[in-house]
Amino acid sequence: MSERLPIYLDYAATTPLDPRVAEAMIECLHTSELQGNPSSMGHEYGRRARARVEQARAQVAAAINARPASIVWTSGATESNNLALLGAARFHADRGKHIVSSRTEHKAVLDALKQLEAEGFSVTYLKPASDGIVTVEQVRDALRDDTQLVSLMHVNNEIGVIQDVGAVGRLCRERGVLLHVDAAQSAGKVSIDVEEMGVDLLSLTAHKVYGPKGIGALYLRRNPPVGLRPLMFGGGQELGLRSGTLPTHQIVGMGVAFEIAEREREADVVRIRALRERLWAGISKLRNVELNGDPERRVCSVLNVSFHGVEGESLQYALADLAVSTGSACASASETPSYVLRALGRSDHVAQSSLRFSLGRFTTEAEIDAAIVSVTQAVERLRSIAPKNTGE
Amino acid sequence: MHYSPLVERHFATPCNVGQLASGSDVLTARAGSQDRGVEILLSARVEHDRIVALNHRVYGCPHSIAAASWLTERLTGATLQDLARWTWREAATALEVPPEKWGRLLVLEDAVRALEKNWRSRPSNHAETA
Repeated sequence: MSERLPIYLDYAATTPLDPRVAEAMIECLHTSELQGNPSSMGHEYGRRARARVEQARAQVAAAINARPASIVWTSGATESNNLALLGAARFHADRGKHIVSSRTEHKAVLDALKQLEAEGFSVTYLKPASDGIVTVEQVRDALRDDTQLVSLMHVNNEIGVIQDVGAVGRLCRERGVLLHVDAAQSAGKVSIDVEEMGVDLLSLTAHKVYGPKGIGALYLRRNPPVGLRPLMFGGGQELGLRSGTLPTHQIVGMGVAFEIAEREREADVVRIRALRERLWAGISKLRNVELNGDPERRVCSVLNVSFHGVEGESLQYALADLAVSTGSACASASETPSYVLRALGRSDHVAQSSLRFSLGRFTTEAEIDAAIVSVTQAVERLRSIAPKNTGE
Repeated sequence: MHYSPLVERHFATPCNVGQLASGSDVLTARAGSQDRGVEILLSARVEHDRIVALNHRVYGCPHSIAAASWLTERLTGATLQDLARWTWREAATALEVPPEKWGRLLVLEDAVRALEKNWRSRPSNHAETA
């Protein structure tokens, strides 16, 4: 292993902190007037901290065209997904105990749904087409009289495809069914308008948007209000939906991160998409490579590629100078092939021979060019030592 | 995933890669498949009662690649009896292969067993042992 750090192409796992975000957080930590508990409204320390928390709430709300009062702070997208799904399903159990979702959701959704199944709910997991898209017709066909909730991710974390959440939102409104959207991967890259999309619950996290780890938010429609049963009990913060002392510096970091992400989104998307296209143009010169997911309806930053004839772990090991993911980062510690790629119809060994490259705000053209060279050399070397298919 | 220094070395610079040109003194054996995650092709040149050259091709994880390369060094000079005695555990120990990867080494042993079988079934071998 060289002493130089590898080129970071794993922005979908987490993004580095934007220096402007770090500066705002450090100011919070250094400033004694912000040391109060934001819930201690009886004195100035608490009120000043609260003002910063509310400023951040407004920044996050503005990024998704929501009212600030509809934002509930959480520890990240996993908690937001759990609070949305478990909280809504349990609260509205009298409406019905059927939920519709898809096979390619993040584990934080799938495992929360498994918990609900253990509690007596039934879940329909839609199978996307080989391009990764779940159609509104599939959702319509899956709805039943007792369906109370649909949960669909906006952008898939492994393959980057964008689901037509707006169309599903309109359908859900017509049918009086709640819609939850996991937007962890879309914030800052794709326009999110909860009003236009007809979303009732939406999960967000800061650390995919150049903010800090450990802070997230759940958008909860307030008009008409969506009922939710809390998962945590204690001080009654966040209108009783999420007890726990609010971490001012984390929240301020998320607010600034979302404000920057929305302000710079269009410019970022154009630049990052061009870099991704450059990477694909270089990689696709290798024979027997395959792009996973719809080639058009995809987020600007993600490129998931299957390299036929190359074993995935060896490819990742050979690419020690690149920080990339096999499958999703959350699941890649195991040898189990990516369930997302399996759901798209890829075989186990093709799924294992796939890499996710994810680019971001700080990726440079020089890094992409170096990545193309590394990938080309590694793939060609590993293929050169493999048995040929011709039955040597 | 832990990779020992020996795995790192053989992965970076595998030994004896390729296939020996076919001939009456060359044996080949194949085991595994890409679908199963490991595929190994061995080719050995046998002179008198010993392997004088052993080459390989391999598809697999870093441990599999390193083990196949290491094996070609280990079994060059081996007799038929040495081949028969060889088991995957020797590679596991030498390369410090973690238990979750031992199944991959069984494919390597399958390739060695196939090579042994082919050696035993050679006409010249029948003549020698008759």
